[in-house]
Amino acid sequence: MKIKKFAAGLAIAGLALGVGVSVPATATAATPVTITIWTFGDVIEPNLIKQYKLIHPEVTLSIKKSDLDPLNGTNMITACTSKQGPDIAAVEVSYAGYWRSYPKCFTDLRTMKTSDANVNADKGTDKNGNPVDVTYIDSTGKKLTVGTVAANLSATSIKPNYLPWRWEQGVGYDDSVIGIPTDVGGLEVAFRTDLMVKAGLVTAAQVKNGTARDVLSKKWPTWSKFIEVGKQYMAKLSAADKKAGKGFIDNVGTIYAAVLNQGTEKYYRNNGTDQGQLIYKTNKNIKTAWDTTLNAHKAAIGTRIGQFSSDWNIGMNKGTFATMLAPAWMMDYIKQQAPDTKGKWDIASLPGGGGNQGGTQLTIPSYAKNKQAAWDFIAWYLAPEQQLQVFRTYGLFPSTKSIYGDSSVKDFKDPFFNNAPVGKIYSTGITKLKPIFEGKLQRGIDQAFGAGLGRVVSGKKNEKTKKPWTSAESWAQSIADIDKLTR
Amino acid sequence: MSSTAVNDSPLIDKKGGRPKTSPSPWKPKKNKKEREDFPGLRSLNGKWGYLFVAPFIVMFIIFGMFPVLYSTVIAFYEFDPLAGAGGLSLEGQTFVGFENFIYLLQDDRLYTAIGNTFDIWFWSTFPQMVISIGLAAVLRNRFLKAKTFWRTILLVPNITSVLAVAIVFGQLFGREFGIINWVLGLFGVDNIDFVEDPLASHIAIATMITWRWAGYNALIFLASMLAIPDELYESASLDGASAWQQFRYVTLPGLRNTITFTLIVGTIGGLQVFAEPLTLAGTTDGGSTHQLLTLTMFLYDSAFGASSKWGYGAAVGIIITIIVLIVSLVNFLVTRKLASGEAK
Amino acid sequence: MTTLEAKPPVIKLPRRRRPKWQKVGLGGYIALTVMALLSMFPFYWMLIVASNGTEEVSKIPPTMIPGPRFFTVIENVYKVVDFNVALMNTVIVGFTVAVAQVLFSALSGFAFAKLNFKARRGLILFVIGTMMLPSQLGIIPLYMLVSGFGWIDTLNALIVPALVTAFGVFWMRQVIDAQVPNEMLEAASIDGAGVLRIYWSIVLPIISQSSFVLGLFSFLATWNDFLWPNLVLQSPGSFTVQVAVQQLKASYFIDYALNLGGAFMATAPLLLLFVFVGRRLVSGVMDGAVKG
Repeated sequence: MKIKKFAAGLAIAGLALGVGVSVPATATAATPVTITIWTFGDVIEPNLIKQYKLIHPEVTLSIKKSDLDPLNGTNMITACTSKQGPDIAAVEVSYAGYWRSYPKCFTDLRTMKTSDANVNADKGTDKNGNPVDVTYIDSTGKKLTVGTVAANLSATSIKPNYLPWRWEQGVGYDDSVIGIPTDVGGLEVAFRTDLMVKAGLVTAAQVKNGTARDVLSKKWPTWSKFIEVGKQYMAKLSAADKKAGKGFIDNVGTIYAAVLNQGTEKYYRNNGTDQGQLIYKTNKNIKTAWDTTLNAHKAAIGTRIGQFSSDWNIGMNKGTFATMLAPAWMMDYIKQQAPDTKGKWDIASLPGGGGNQGGTQLTIPSYAKNKQAAWDFIAWYLAPEQQLQVFRTYGLFPSTKSIYGDSSVKDFKDPFFNNAPVGKIYSTGITKLKPIFEGKLQRGIDQAFGAGLGRVVSGKKNEKTKKPWTSAESWAQSIADIDKLTR
Repeated sequence: MSSTAVNDSPLIDKKGGRPKTSPSPWKPKKNKKEREDFPGLRSLNGKWGYLFVAPFIVMFIIFGMFPVLYSTVIAFYEFDPLAGAGGLSLEGQTFVGFENFIYLLQDDRLYTAIGNTFDIWFWSTFPQMVISIGLAAVLRNRFLKAKTFWRTILLVPNITSVLAVAIVFGQLFGREFGIINWVLGLFGVDNIDFVEDPLASHIAIATMITWRWAGYNALIFLASMLAIPDELYESASLDGASAWQQFRYVTLPGLRNTITFTLIVGTIGGLQVFAEPLTLAGTTDGGSTHQLLTLTMFLYDSAFGASSKWGYGAAVGIIITIIVLIVSLVNFLVTRKLASGEAK
Repeated sequence: MTTLEAKPPVIKLPRRRRPKWQKVGLGGYIALTVMALLSMFPFYWMLIVASNGTEEVSKIPPTMIPGPRFFTVIENVYKVVDFNVALMNTVIVGFTVAVAQVLFSALSGFAFAKLNFKARRGLILFVIGTMMLPSQLGIIPLYMLVSGFGWIDTLNALIVPALVTAFGVFWMRQVIDAQVPNEMLEAASIDGAGVLRIYWSIVLPIISQSSFVLGLFSFLATWNDFLWPNLVLQSPGSFTVQVAVQQLKASYFIDYALNLGGAFMATAPLLLLFVFVGRRLVSGVMDGAVKG
């Protein structure tokens, strides 16, 4: 008997626990709403959330962060297949191709219309004319009025604000709009002025008067020139520096994606079909990107450090490498990881002109429970005004081309980067880019070619030949791996 | 099965919990066939057994067996989680028969994964065993001060999550600025790439596993050592055996069953190594030559990695199961041979 | 025994001489100290990085003394995620799972060890067989199942599938087999006690120490689990500690101080718990060892 009672008690306790946790927020007169968001990193920025709370006090944002792969892979797949999910999910560009092929998992944002809640918030009243206080004081103590969002906006009506090639990354195969772009990861070259001076590539005076970046940009209009400059740099290094593993660029592997993204096609050709046509075997761009990377490797201009490793952070501080290919969002990374190097960095333009790496779309999964609230938030959060703020605080580059001409972008100079006009440099690069058709298995193909380069660059032994991997062997292996992936 | 065999071996019986001289007619006889592997009490109403195991069996069938069996079904499909009707429905999925398996047997990643898994198992098992037995030998000493303290502190690594310490190990193993390379550098060793180099990366994983389990196994060996009768040492020392000889001819033979036991447990655990290589490699595919791809990672990568081929992942899972069964069978046969050899 | 020489003599000589135990040499203590330091080092390292900030530990040789920033980092952790809620959730799940596993496992383990019923042998084989399956295999269907029950984003998703494990049953079977003498059961049975009564007042008390250890191990496993919780928990109110720690990761980089601060906070309660139960855990591990 005792056991039975106890077991029953336990069952009830378990039930109560479960229920206690799963009870949704009770609806009150003010109809509070909780928007659940799946994201990674700082895609959803805390200061802006505070501002949104001012114009939408009824909204609570419940945020869950995961690593990119589990988030955009496992978690979103299992959510969609079991017909549930968050109100908003962040989809990174590398997964854009995959999710574009499953539009049924997302709400077509062309069908959404922003509500009229708080339409007049920026004028100091809500929609009924009652006064609201929307003054936000930022961390520096500066006061600003939180912008509002107009009513009846659909994805179609906000489309003209955004960079066309960037917008395409959030369009589903059936032409539905599944995601709105956040920032754009324009790619340029970040370099250490002090190390460049030491190597005699620029003079201290040029650094001081701010022409060093132009001098360097002119030295490397193409990738082969870039590698040449790298060789010159390496020639000036002392034997001790070389032994300590110093190099011109942090990691030559990054060149691959940079070159590839400068083309018009990657692994898929837009042949008018939804899926596109796989062209990873025939697209010459890929081989060019591959060969350029391995040329840089042969020229021995890179360090052996992997990006985003703990070594990398340390190397950034110690001046182990003089350059890195830096997407706009990486500027903030450098500031955070190497604050002591303030002023020693500068930004030059990318060889071959313009590049892109990274970026995210905000989506509303089709099984979201609070679609309206989610759309109101997205439309506000990704509107030009808010993107501008994020740019000012974090350097994330806006995907809304309508503000590139704004003086606070155009004339923005970053003291951390030797007062480089980063706004101008990055906006010039990204407007040169063309849309690239993103296919379903993009991510896997990227990884397979990346692994192929890794095999050669790390000097690993090929088990079949008992010798280090050659470029040709590794290329063939990558193609074979991709054949497996795409079968 | 294998563990039962260990339990039934004569050595364990000698010092088991049961009273040595029992008048009970139910005392299990040593002959296995006679006792039908039943150590219990026949006079109790056995029917209660069904009621007692029912909660476990029911729960286990729902949450343990069903998912695994369902995966077995998926393995015969080209299962795209997002293509069909969703949920557990097979509607809209393509039945492909044994295609996943045929393809898998031709997939060199499978053999790489098997090789890696056994290599990591090797490097994490044998050095660890030496360390554990060595520690146990020191812990066994009667004159050791603060016994409980030492025993307890050695168990600390075992209670923490792999995830929490993985970041730490990642830093320690850093190629350019990691402490381990710095220490090696003091001895004139060139920097080692503990992620990309196949052997070094396996040793790095093995180190993480050894760190976690060496203390735990030391306690297991200690318990086994404490069970070796003092008389053996007495007579050995009378015969003038040195400390090393006592260890070699008394302690080690006494540990044989425990060594077998830890090997078996280690093999099954070793076949499921997952979190350590995943965190060190940083990707589910285990690095540029899949140098860190273990069997369970291969399963995870196939089902959840870039391709999301759930049917293929399920097929990998079934192959893993078969490998585990084969290894367990080998374990079982070896153990039985050892045990019967001893009885003679 | 491989060495016949080492077997005790058949006729015992009437002498009580203890074997000569050599004292623990310096080498022994050094070995133990090194192992103890290595065991504690990762935790100490978490503390160092968290309290010094990321830049400090970039030095070679690295800083080895805790710095002043520890509480700032802890404060920052709380800014990102409500750690208390996560702690509370983890304790609820861990405790429920531990208690349930002990009860269910002991119940089945008792039946498998001491009760004679027809399906017994077959079921034991079934239990042992399933112990060898890789757990990742069933994760997809399990998710759909749990989702079908409507448990996504609730603690039920963590608790219910973990209520029973094959390992727990197997373990308990071994423990009860080894620790509960048949004579005792028989005596009780003759005195007229029913099976239930025997289970409750004889078996459970005898195996209390082992139950505690099994419970502790399942508590630890629940505490440290990440893959499954990260899949089924979706909002901060239901996070467990390991999922909470994950929230500290920023986009493309790791703030080591913040992350290791979080890792330290996720580990500290276990270390504290260990101070109190470490001894019992040690004896549990050693008990288990002798019995195989």
